[in-house]
Amino acid sequence: MNDLTNAFQKPFSDELRVLGTDPVPATAYYDEGWFDLEREAVFKRTWLNVGHVCELPEPGSFIVRELEFARASVIIARGKDGNIRAFHNVCTHRGTQLTREKEGKASTFSCPYHMWTFGNDGRLLSAPDFERFYITDKASCDLTTVSVDICAGLIFVNRDRNPKQGLKEFLGPMGEMISTLPISRATTYDEYVYDIDANWKVTFDNFQENYHLRFVHRRTNGAPALDSKPNPFHYPVAYDVFGPHRMDTSPGGGIPEPETKPLASLLLGKLGEQVMLDGLTGGPHDQDYFIFYPNLYVFGNPTMHFTHMVMPLAAGKSRGVFRFYWIGDDRTAQERISRELALAFAREIHVEDCETIASAQRGIESGALQHVNFQEQEVLCRHLLASVQKQVADHLAERRERA
Amino acid sequence: MSTQVALPPGFAALEPFVAWWAAPSLSERDTRRLDSTEAQRLAFYDAAKELAPAALEYLDSRPFTAYDEADHRLLDLVLGLIHATLAVEIEKGEEHIHARGARRMPIVRERADPRILTAKAHASG
Repeated sequence: MNDLTNAFQKPFSDELRVLGTDPVPATAYYDEGWFDLEREAVFKRTWLNVGHVCELPEPGSFIVRELEFARASVIIARGKDGNIRAFHNVCTHRGTQLTREKEGKASTFSCPYHMWTFGNDGRLLSAPDFERFYITDKASCDLTTVSVDICAGLIFVNRDRNPKQGLKEFLGPMGEMISTLPISRATTYDEYVYDIDANWKVTFDNFQENYHLRFVHRRTNGAPALDSKPNPFHYPVAYDVFGPHRMDTSPGGGIPEPETKPLASLLLGKLGEQVMLDGLTGGPHDQDYFIFYPNLYVFGNPTMHFTHMVMPLAAGKSRGVFRFYWIGDDRTAQERISRELALAFAREIHVEDCETIASAQRGIESGALQHVNFQEQEVLCRHLLASVQKQVADHLAERRERA
Repeated sequence: MSTQVALPPGFAALEPFVAWWAAPSLSERDTRRLDSTEAQRLAFYDAAKELAPAALEYLDSRPFTAYDEADHRLLDLVLGLIHATLAVEIEKGEEHIHARGARRMPIVRERADPRILTAKAHASG
């Protein structure tokens, strides 16, 4: 272990200091009215990661994503021209959903109800008996677009048809940082998901503080430096904040150790060496967790290169999606084995994470607490709530102005 | 399922474990682990521990394109061993706690199997 393992720092930056030290209101984590405001002000107006370009390898490829918070279903398709577009999965005739597929290849989408047919560029191509309608402008019947853009291979959509900021501007410097990660060149991925009875912020917060590691990750010993005196809780060695986004640097570790886990270690093999040979290690962000507002983590580590997205389903329900991204199909048996072990070991840790989250939600929902307390090393949780509160306040102010 | 395909020469000792542990997909291998008994996991782990280095060497000694069904089966078995190993070496007596949570975190997407990649490569000439 290098020196970093034992060093941790207080979150010093001015951006974090202005967040203060007060307890925060508990209602933000369960109140239905507040959740509705978050849906309107945050999720319907912010860029959200819903996939990766490797899912759309060629013209005609499409994926369908459900945005439960907006009760929306979105088709994301690569057109003949190679461009990626996004549309509501809604026929412009009477609203029927066009496809029930989750992914596939199609040059057109036909509504099962009255056979209106659209190109994968969203244009209405044909509609039986169209001359009997009272529509003069056929183009007005093209599919309703959803804003879409790409960063580091990640596909983001925005329910706002005229977003205040483009994706690049929204992601800021952290968007540039992740553009050099292996994820930007990924061609394939593994995915596991969980639905959990917890507010999306309660779920998300679990993954942006290291205070819990020593207690929740007893079995996996997910933080191998736990016994080191200067940093007994495996706190991050650095924090940074960029607008609503934040990042921290892990002190490292998290791989099965040969002494206590001989066969796991043998099977993991030389994955570390392989990614080094592939030129994927040694970057400035190998131990960085990028936490994009509102609900996306990207871990820079090239041997456990994953994203984790948490979607709100209801005030007290959320869904997490973990994706392990890889460059290229498995080339050798060792590569196939070590990738599967890296993924399975990380999931082992994430299963532990989910053991306590719903319990926290049940306690908060009881109304027993007016406030929850965040310590200095939970400052990123505080920053998330502050960012949400600001966007809700701005949205309400705009609404008042319009009225 | 076709008729039983033996493992490559030298790995006969692992054949009793093929039927349960050599499942052909990541999500099935995970499910086998979660559905297994501790006795099943320990028996497989103990038998495979000694042969694992030789199996890794054998599997890496040829490209996927040269694999026959017995080779693929051995690879699936070693992949199954990953999941048994995590239960034995990490979860130990608390595997039932892991299993309860893991069932709520299903694997829904996985990388292509080498069999499919090889078939695709043949198809595209």
